[in-house]
Amino acid sequence: MISSWLNKTILRLKALKRRRQLDRDLDDEMAFHLAMRAAKLEALGRDPAAAQHAARRRFGNIGNVKEQSRAMWTFTSLESWWTDVRYAGRSLANNPGFTIVAVLAIALGIGVNAGIFSILNGVALRLLPIPSSRQVVSVDQIFHGKLHRNVHGETTLVSYSEYLSYRSDNHVFSGLLAYEPFLMATLASASPKQLFGAAASCNYFDVLQIAPSAGRAFVDSDCAASGTGAVVVISDELWHASFAADPAILGKAIRLNRAAFVVIGIAPPGFTGTEPIPSAFWVPFTMQPSIEPGREMDALGDASLSWLALLGRLRPGVSLEQTRADLAVISARLDQRHPGGFATLVIRPATFLGRQEEHSFVFGVGGIILAATGLVLLIACANVANLLLARASARHKEIALRLSIGASRWRLIRQLLTESLLLAFIGGACGSVIAFWSFQGISSFLLAHLPRNFPPLALNLAPDWHVLAYAFVLTVLTGMVFGVVPALQATRAELNTALKEEGYGAAGSARRSGRLRNTLVGVQVAVCMILLLAAALLMRGLYIAQTVDPGFRMGGVASISLDLRSQAYDDKRAAVFQSQLIDRLVSLPGVDGVAQAEHAPLDDDHNWTGFLFPGEHDNIDVEFDNVSPAFFTILEIPFVRGGNFTEAESRTGANVAIISEAAARTHWHGADPVGQTIRKGKQELQIVGVARDAQIARLGQDPRPYIYLPAGPEQQIRVQLLVHSAVPFRQTETAIRGAVHMVDPDMPVDVTPLADNLEIWRTPSRIVASLSAALGALALVLAITGVYGVASYASSRRIREIGIRVALGAGSRDVMGLLLRQVMRPVLVGAVVGIAVCAGVSSVLSAMLFGLRSYDPIAFLVVPVLLLGVALLASYLPARRAMRVDPVTALRYE
Amino acid sequence: MTAKKENPGDLLQGTLDLLILKALARGPQHGYGVAEWIHAISEDILRVEEGALYPALHRLELRGLLAAEWGTSENNRRAKYYSLTAAGRKELAQETEHWRRLSGAVARILQTA
Repeated sequence: MISSWLNKTILRLKALKRRRQLDRDLDDEMAFHLAMRAAKLEALGRDPAAAQHAARRRFGNIGNVKEQSRAMWTFTSLESWWTDVRYAGRSLANNPGFTIVAVLAIALGIGVNAGIFSILNGVALRLLPIPSSRQVVSVDQIFHGKLHRNVHGETTLVSYSEYLSYRSDNHVFSGLLAYEPFLMATLASASPKQLFGAAASCNYFDVLQIAPSAGRAFVDSDCAASGTGAVVVISDELWHASFAADPAILGKAIRLNRAAFVVIGIAPPGFTGTEPIPSAFWVPFTMQPSIEPGREMDALGDASLSWLALLGRLRPGVSLEQTRADLAVISARLDQRHPGGFATLVIRPATFLGRQEEHSFVFGVGGIILAATGLVLLIACANVANLLLARASARHKEIALRLSIGASRWRLIRQLLTESLLLAFIGGACGSVIAFWSFQGISSFLLAHLPRNFPPLALNLAPDWHVLAYAFVLTVLTGMVFGVVPALQATRAELNTALKEEGYGAAGSARRSGRLRNTLVGVQVAVCMILLLAAALLMRGLYIAQTVDPGFRMGGVASISLDLRSQAYDDKRAAVFQSQLIDRLVSLPGVDGVAQAEHAPLDDDHNWTGFLFPGEHDNIDVEFDNVSPAFFTILEIPFVRGGNFTEAESRTGANVAIISEAAARTHWHGADPVGQTIRKGKQELQIVGVARDAQIARLGQDPRPYIYLPAGPEQQIRVQLLVHSAVPFRQTETAIRGAVHMVDPDMPVDVTPLADNLEIWRTPSRIVASLSAALGALALVLAITGVYGVASYASSRRIREIGIRVALGAGSRDVMGLLLRQVMRPVLVGAVVGIAVCAGVSSVLSAMLFGLRSYDPIAFLVVPVLLLGVALLASYLPARRAMRVDPVTALRYE
Repeated sequence: MTAKKENPGDLLQGTLDLLILKALARGPQHGYGVAEWIHAISEDILRVEEGALYPALHRLELRGLLAAEWGTSENNRRAKYYSLTAAGRKELAQETEHWRRLSGAVARILQTA
């Protein structure tokens, strides 16, 4: 079978090499036969002419026989396909203007899509950078129903005892590891450094198949019991950055959060753990109590504490389904401990950002952005389809002629599709180049816009075969989408009218393709309107964010963050530390106020709890902060009624509270709340003052009730400090660091301008606004090109009609109106549809980003005017050109 | 389109192939010679369009059952001579056997009627 096929192919290939020879041989063979037959007939007494005729008759259809043999000897279907490609190439090369515009449109559309996709791919689809990463899966627990769960990190993490159950009872993993992600620790050195790391099970490196480049990995005895294994594996990066790549570090102790750990190994270069934020160190998870002192949790004993992420390496040949079934049995057994609720497992190939919450967030946001870029591609497709339609009507006669002499419609459609696919592939190839460029642009743009102090990410965003496959599929789809309709349209000619048609005619097909073109323009304008309106709304949101008054002073205020708990302080030592530090800070040059607050204003974290207001039966959740009296002075938040805490109230943590104006308005309706009491749990708090509304917890929303409580002795371990200083920030920062290290030389400290906190709130709006503005601009350019193209085409088709009208005395105003009406009608319909859709979805946008109002009148006014104005211009220019044609020329115009 | 018309059923094509193989069993021959032999042997009962012979010859050549060579004919013209390959001989033997059994069976069926 195979050998015969091989033989056939070899003979065919040989024939291919001597194509002419084959034709000549066929001719010779037939000619020989005919000559022999004729000679025989002649010998039987026929005259030569009749003999030849008879010989031919007996032979049958010579052309047909030759065609059959030729088909046998050659790769006909392949060759006719190649002919199509060459034909398409020629016809594209003959219309360079059309080709360039179309390729550019497709390249931009596909390029931006592939660029965005390569980022999504790098963030959430790429497998972990470890050996045989295909075998490694992540396991998440999703809880349903009512059950009590302590959470350190995310709820989808598992507890220590749950990990042990999964590890010992499963039949699918060759190894299952657990680790506490995003563990922060301070490395003691001359300049204390904050590091991210992980507390891991002792099979961590074995399961990941990562061998330390020096020293050893963990062994089981390191994880024998709580508190055992004061050892650490450090990353190659940390080894270079903090220990000058000195091999002698092995066997020495380093101090992390003031606990000593012996360095036993150095991870291989490039390995930074399994989280997007690189890990600098790994300790056995039995050391959790030592490395995270002061956390009020029993990590190893609490069976319902979520703190460990799971990664398992599958045994060879085990499928995901088998894994799900096997682990579900264990999960069901664990469920029996907490009646009223149950857990389901999410098991998927391990990636960065693979935990359920991160996963759904990344795919949610990524999906929205891909949808937007998909819309841009749709506009590009509509553009190219329109160009093809216009070209198809120019080739109307050619196609009709070919149909009438017997070409099958399918054959012509195939050829037209080949042309559009060729176009798509050229565009897609250029687009992939753009993608490569744009992913770098976009990712460096995103990284540059992340808030200050954001740790570097360990993400590999470079395109890989996923991206290539995505671009390829997109290209084929694109070629089909913009090619099919024009191809069907072009080959549906009524031959009779088409062949007779002169220049322009009212043939049904022309009207039909006109309607199609109008629909395409309408769609383009509608989609463009949606993108532009979204961009405008986001930009307005950004503008509001930039200009909003937070209600408190930011200038000259520095925020000092300290984490006394991680440094093994207790309440008593913390109070001493705080008072010593404040004494030093107030004496610094330029400093005129130092305040304490558990959370600095607009910090990324804030407190809320239930308060009971007079006359209410239920607790109401309100955001609150524990602050010192100086808080109101240095942030310049005035009191509307009553006054500040006294120093004594603050020092002792008295049962007093200050409420915001909004709280007074909501719960006292204009009555004076000062002197009244509210309850927080068992505490009765007397209201001493009402402060003006300020956006302490979150920015860009209507004032909400807010409560200030004194920063008493219990808060000393967690409060941050705010310092107002008249001297420039850089000097203040240095002075503050000096002051902190005088009190405790090993204390890690972070000093930032308070105004930076505003950046955290503005960053998402800024990124999204810039991205959508760029997409909107691209969409506008593409859509306007489309309108312009259709307008030019429509005008040029009507030049003769215009000539007649002008010759008969029509005013130029009437003719212009006629032309503009024709083009602007679909534009207007598209615009109205676009506005309606956007009005429908803008509430979604406003929920996502700060400062955005769904029906911002400025956005909804400016964008339609802009878009329609540009569209009007784009249709006016070709119309004016058409009207400038001399009527005499126009009448002769073919 | 044309390809379909040219395939007059497996039996007929198979028959033509078998006849060609048989014709060449006596030694190399050109297409005209094969046609003449079929006419002579079958006493003109099997009237094939002579042209149909050539696609069949080429098909057999492509299947490796025939080898082809350009030579000079008895009247000094350039002609393409076909000859059986080893595979062709095997095929002929198999097909002959197959055909004999089939025709025997058909003959028995017709006799019982």
